[in-house]
Amino acid sequence: MNVSTNPWIWISAILTLGIFSFLYKENPFYRVCEHLFVGISNGYSITFVWHRILMPTLINPVARGERLWLILVAIIGALYFTRFIPRISWLVRIPIAIVMGYGAGASIPRAIDASIIEQLKATVITRSTFETIYAGLWAIIIFIGVIATISYFFFSRERKGILKPLSYLGIIFIMLGFGASFGYTVMARISLLIGRLTFLLRDWLGIIK
Amino acid sequence: MMTFEKNKTGIWEKLTKLDRRIIYLLLFLVVLIPLIYPFRLTPRAMSPVLKLFNHIDTIPPDKCLIISVDYTPDTEPELHPMTIALLRHAFSRKIKVGILCISLLGLGLAQDAITTVTNEFNRHALTRDDSVVYGRDYVFWGWQTPVLVPILGMGENIAKVFPVDYYGNKTDTLEFMKTIKNYNDVGILVSISGSAIPFYYITYAQTQFGVRIGVGSTAVQAADFYPYINSGQVTGMMSGMKGAAEYEQLVEERCRFYGRRKATDAMASQTAAHIWIMVTIIIGNISYFILKRRQK
Repeated sequence: MNVSTNPWIWISAILTLGIFSFLYKENPFYRVCEHLFVGISNGYSITFVWHRILMPTLINPVARGERLWLILVAIIGALYFTRFIPRISWLVRIPIAIVMGYGAGASIPRAIDASIIEQLKATVITRSTFETIYAGLWAIIIFIGVIATISYFFFSRERKGILKPLSYLGIIFIMLGFGASFGYTVMARISLLIGRLTFLLRDWLGIIK
Repeated sequence: MMTFEKNKTGIWEKLTKLDRRIIYLLLFLVVLIPLIYPFRLTPRAMSPVLKLFNHIDTIPPDKCLIISVDYTPDTEPELHPMTIALLRHAFSRKIKVGILCISLLGLGLAQDAITTVTNEFNRHALTRDDSVVYGRDYVFWGWQTPVLVPILGMGENIAKVFPVDYYGNKTDTLEFMKTIKNYNDVGILVSISGSAIPFYYITYAQTQFGVRIGVGSTAVQAADFYPYINSGQVTGMMSGMKGAAEYEQLVEERCRFYGRRKATDAMASQTAAHIWIMVTIIIGNISYFILKRRQK
């Protein structure tokens, strides 16, 4: 056992134990750690944005008399803060509208392409899909899965005839998807626990190498 | 016989009402014991990891690998080993690496990975040619916001998106940037993230510029990316700690690089925990059905 003498490691270890204490029950120690985390994250972000974004790209150029049009952009951005003044809070709509307009314009065509067109193409079975039996088999399973799952979410008609078995098959595919997601979620959460335990045992207590 | 039946169902009843803190404690022990008394497992690379490795392995000398460190400290155990494994792979194959962050809190983690791996390589280097040199072999561009600015901007001119690097150097003065101008000079961009950032890369960088995208995701998200692997929009993927362990294994086997393998070291605990959770799920279901039958 080789306990760390680094004060930062000790602070990290104490805060980790503080967060873990929530597993027993809600307590003031946990709340202190939680608030510290929120505060420090925000403080770090604000400081970084000030020094790395606002200073070099806005304040310094404007102070030198360059790119003065940035003042207009800064004023529009600052309108976000009008939310705190009820009388003129409606002005917040201006920057929101600009961001939404830009975001929608930039994302809609590409999102349709990336998430719908390309995915549809990948579902279509062609002769080239059967380059190997294995690939062809998976392509058929995916094709059936897509059709069955979509039919489960088809609510415009009563589930009768072909729609009934197809939607049941859809449920099976959906459940398989949930199962895979749950399995992966377990792995993710256990990984985080392992990460913290490794830190406590290795970096703090020096029990493991 | 009646007493025996009663006792038997009593156990199941007790199990369903077991205090969750006892389950936490047992899980804690199941994870803890293999960490103290480890047993080494050899991860076998699955197809998405293998595809990513093979693609990076064949990046031509005039192109580079971009690693987008898009994770924050909360997902560090799963994702940080991926960044380290990718850097080891690239440096051992003399592939140029550009590193950037879309997530602000990823900066410190990216710097940590760079320091760790460059120290590993430079410790044994005898000449400058053997060494991993900043500005020649790799560049850390730093952070840029909002998300679309760097992703779309790098398709035209990387130096314009990052006029200065993380250390304050003018990027266009770096040797690295003389050959790496935009996505045309990128072999693959790997986004390592616990959030939706890889989707941005798929939607904007891959769809618009045709750049190859690799993903390093947390296990929680992994299922969401499989359709994109199937469609070819994502070239390869590492999912969760297991994906990282598989990549570490490939780097050791094929690049003959031996360093600390954080993800592989954790696989013993991971496996033990999975077995334990499977056991609890099975016991929970059995007790549920037994009690249901008794109620009838």
